[in-house]
Amino acid sequence: MTTTQQSEQQGMHRRRITLADGRYMIFYTFDESPVAQTETQGAGDGASEKRESEPQPQAEEERRV
Amino acid sequence: MSELRWNPLLGEWVATATHRQDRTFLPPADYCPLCPTKPGGFPTEVPESIYDMVVFENRFPSLRPDPPLPAIEGTELYPVRPGQGVCEVVLYSPNHNTTLAAEPVEQLYKLVRVWTDRFIELGALPFVDYVFEFENKGEAIGVTLHHPHGQIYAYPFIPPRVLRELKQSRDHHDETGRCLLCDIIVEERRAGRRIIAENKSFVAYIPFFASYPYEVHIASSRHLQALSDLEQTEQKDLAELLKQVLVAYDRLFNLSFPYMMVLHPRPTDGGSYDDYHFHIEFYPPLRTATKLKYLAGSETGAGMFINDTLAEEKAAEVRSHVEPVVWKRDER
Repeated sequence: MTTTQQSEQQGMHRRRITLADGRYMIFYTFDESPVAQTETQGAGDGASEKRESEPQPQAEEERRV
Repeated sequence: MSELRWNPLLGEWVATATHRQDRTFLPPADYCPLCPTKPGGFPTEVPESIYDMVVFENRFPSLRPDPPLPAIEGTELYPVRPGQGVCEVVLYSPNHNTTLAAEPVEQLYKLVRVWTDRFIELGALPFVDYVFEFENKGEAIGVTLHHPHGQIYAYPFIPPRVLRELKQSRDHHDETGRCLLCDIIVEERRAGRRIIAENKSFVAYIPFFASYPYEVHIASSRHLQALSDLEQTEQKDLAELLKQVLVAYDRLFNLSFPYMMVLHPRPTDGGSYDDYHFHIEFYPPLRTATKLKYLAGSETGAGMFINDTLAEEKAAEVRSHVEPVVWKRDER
């Protein structure tokens, strides 16, 4: 793994590395400090726990014809 | 094997990428290849954990910058070309158990900036004619990895759906002298009933012609062609509207709402596309909390969608779940 390039643009920092298999990977970091909750964050908070309740394909009668 | 085969019936390219059959499929959370590698743990795709966003070349790409020669010889009827392009993965967070909807608006603002950076860099590649940024979310859409991420395909041609939008936009401009999407925004604002949310720079609505029950479009109020045209205030306004739509989606049925989110900027082939208008489209597969909208015979075989719902009613439903967004600091 080698670092090939670093750059900064208006508070956005890019660090580009080359992986062992030759692919590139770019890490982006921003000057803004880690952020707190927003008012609208509530619904998403339990999102990962609810993934299991995602709908799966229904029985044949649900299929559009 | 990876190549592009021409479909003369529809006049479009199909990517053949047989190696993708071997890609990781729904691994347990403890073995997520997109999580940062932990000390002493198994090596994942991401060797570091301190970042806001990470972008990397897809390990199982359907297009690559230096593709192999096609494994089959083309004919006059069936042209074949190398699958040249770029396929990138965009990790929204090191945290496996999050989603874009759950992230603070500041993180969405960062994503808008990363999208912009990738559009500019990939669009500048000589073999890239179109930069397509998107997210497939949820098993209902067919995701194979749950870690929150989007993707970018940099195509060596303009994809057919965008080509069709470009033609419609150009024809409308030739006939009226106006931008098609600007006219759609005026029409949607005049009607009002299908608006989900809006701010100074962007408007979100379920279009009059929606194919999916909860299909939402987000368009810029200002006539512009790509993310790279946005001012900083507009980038923040876009992040804010994305946050409002995503949270409203999750609240609809109190579950992590599956969707396809696609960005439609202008092509990057050097042509003039002043009559095109940047926008984002969401295609959620749900029509109720437990029922999926299938793309069956009419939709797939004829290309004609049948929507079992009224856009006006669904817009009211989504709108009722929209709430104001608060930034951590006074950054506006």
